[in-house]
Amino acid sequence: MTAWIDFARGPLFRFCFALMVLGLLRIVLITLLGVKEAYQRNTDKIVSWREIRRQTVGWLFPVGRLWRQRPIYSVLSFLFHAGMILTPLFLASHILLWRNSVGFGWPALPQEVANWLVLLVIFTGIGIFLGRVLHSGARKLSKLQDFLWPLLMITPFATGYIASNAVISPRTYQGMMLVHIYAGDLILLMIPFTKLAHCVLAPLSQLVTGIAWKFPAGAGDRVAETLGFADRPTWVPQARLATAPDAVEPAKKGEIRK
Amino acid sequence: MASVMKSLARPLTPEEREKAFASRKKAEVIESQRLPVRYHVEDFDVEDRPRRFLEAFASILKHTNYRLALDHYVRVTARCARCAVACPIYDATHDPRDIPCYRSELLLSIYRRHFTVSGILRARLLGDPGLTDEKIQELADSYYNCTACRRCHFDCPMGIDHALVTHLGRYILSEIGIVPRALAVSVREQLIGATGNTSAIPVPALIDTLEFLSEDIHDEKGINVPFPVDQEGAEYIFFTAVSDYMMEADTLKGIATVMKATGDSWTIGTGYYDGINYGLFYSDQVMEHALQKMEAEARRLKAKKILMGECGHASRTAKYFYPTYCGGKDALPVISILEYTQKALKEGRIKLDPEIVSEGVTYHDPCNFARTGWIVNQPREVLKAFCPAYVEMAPNGRSNLCCGGGGGTVSLDEVRAFRTTVGGRLKAEQIRRTGANYCVAPCANCKKQLRELMEDQGVECEILGLHDLIYRAIILPADPKSEEEEAGSASTSASLSTGGTS
Repeated sequence: MTAWIDFARGPLFRFCFALMVLGLLRIVLITLLGVKEAYQRNTDKIVSWREIRRQTVGWLFPVGRLWRQRPIYSVLSFLFHAGMILTPLFLASHILLWRNSVGFGWPALPQEVANWLVLLVIFTGIGIFLGRVLHSGARKLSKLQDFLWPLLMITPFATGYIASNAVISPRTYQGMMLVHIYAGDLILLMIPFTKLAHCVLAPLSQLVTGIAWKFPAGAGDRVAETLGFADRPTWVPQARLATAPDAVEPAKKGEIRK
Repeated sequence: MASVMKSLARPLTPEEREKAFASRKKAEVIESQRLPVRYHVEDFDVEDRPRRFLEAFASILKHTNYRLALDHYVRVTARCARCAVACPIYDATHDPRDIPCYRSELLLSIYRRHFTVSGILRARLLGDPGLTDEKIQELADSYYNCTACRRCHFDCPMGIDHALVTHLGRYILSEIGIVPRALAVSVREQLIGATGNTSAIPVPALIDTLEFLSEDIHDEKGINVPFPVDQEGAEYIFFTAVSDYMMEADTLKGIATVMKATGDSWTIGTGYYDGINYGLFYSDQVMEHALQKMEAEARRLKAKKILMGECGHASRTAKYFYPTYCGGKDALPVISILEYTQKALKEGRIKLDPEIVSEGVTYHDPCNFARTGWIVNQPREVLKAFCPAYVEMAPNGRSNLCCGGGGGTVSLDEVRAFRTTVGGRLKAEQIRRTGANYCVAPCANCKKQLRELMEDQGVECEILGLHDLIYRAIILPADPKSEEEEAGSASTSASLSTGGTS
């Protein structure tokens, strides 16, 4: 079992981590290039950057926004995300692992604080899982994967917590570490390819939406032309009627809304 | 005041539901068009619809910027249902198909399946046949249940703009022939009809109306207030929802009096006088062509600025898309009459009597003004200046509730029951709770919808425009006689001086 654990926190971790970094770089670059291309496509360069910035920063630190809709769910979700980002990055033993293999490190959270944060992630994770199950709208909207995500995400936290805090046999300890590390690797691997990518994409949403509302001039005519309707835009009578007009009841001539 | 959202969250009663979703269409039309929707649609080719839908989708993706947004949205969508709580439609129906995120997912799933590599590969593996005709039917129904109010956008932690997706969905549908008939017929008259406007008002009728309004003002206020027509080189060229010329006499009289009081030159062009742009609701091509007509008229009369009347969607289209289609930063500036009047009041160029309107007044934020934060405080400043019994409704401003007739649905008389039972249910309660006698709604769409809503829901509140109230309270500077004399003496002196020089 030790060999499996060493493999998972050695080569497998490096592979998953590298793939995550490259994958995220790829989609961020694609998105930014898309924004640039869309921006250049328009004659209209009037973009309210202030509003985009305001909304982006507002959602990065959404403290004032949580109370508006589904407040309990929103607060749980915010705490879950905060703990999720902080704990793995600032856990003393993670930093130690990193320092031993890469050669540099950074200050860690006190173990006491880290422990509380882990518990926070576990309980808020269960909370947002329940929030999804118990809210009729969310339940109907969700796919199977949406219910599984929070459970998968708290797995490494729960196993890591048990492994480092509970008094357990060495065998159970190794079992916990095994699940902990493989689940962590799996999550890293999936980040760029699944909706977890929102960890880097969500801050770009307002920018993307703001630019997407800028329509290129002349696009409407070009769309109709490509479809073979250059002379039949949607507003002419029987614009999209291919069958012989006699076969159906003809539209009344000069029909005008009262 | 507590928000009405939570306290009212109960589903429709079975009777209300039946009323709201009753279809007035003939079964054979639904059958022949293969389209179970409540709104009327002109006949179109139903054969091979999924293929043509995908062709239209592909063509739109090729020439526009929507791909950027769709690519992003399919990656980040979290399906957390925060938007469900923000949506007044879902609040009434409690139907998961009315959750904004579900609505968007209809189109996003088509995009994912047919226009992304992973979707195409997955379909190959699973043998997914792809877009079906049933899905197009669901799309056509769903996308016109949404009022495109954009309220959900501000509650999406992922920043997905469901109204942009709705706009795109409707655009694709329109390219295969699925457009509500009321909108299509109006646009036809506006773009290729004899009158060139959505309400089919010919120029002589317009002139008659304007003269009549002028006389009305003279009778009521004892002062000559002209509606300048075809004045070249005026500071402002005025466009409003053309239906105002038939329905909203008081709003127009208010606007003309304000212009008279400030003394700025303005004009209505007889070449084109319609601010309405249904392109915002279903087609970028329509939007561009309608705005180009506006541009042509403004250039013909050498106007310096475009002044938009009390109409939300017309103003938003002009403000945000006029530069898009008519020259970017060189385009003429677009100003709303609400901004104009507030500025004039602030500068002391108009005076309002605070003793005329003593009844309770509340203000409804039209989504197209308020959601972007463009016009929220301006009308409130004006109202507070002369309505001592002004009350706010809650929620308001940028997070206001839609009147229930947004996104062009107000023009579809066949869905009135849906609009007043589902769309405007919270709005009616919101207005009822203010206890106000007047609800100011500076938007032609909102006015029509809210009047029908007040009637159907039995709420005692008069719906009117901001300038309707201003018209009642405005203090006009000069008394007509002295003004005529002044004008007379001015012209005499002018003719004298001309005589002197010649």
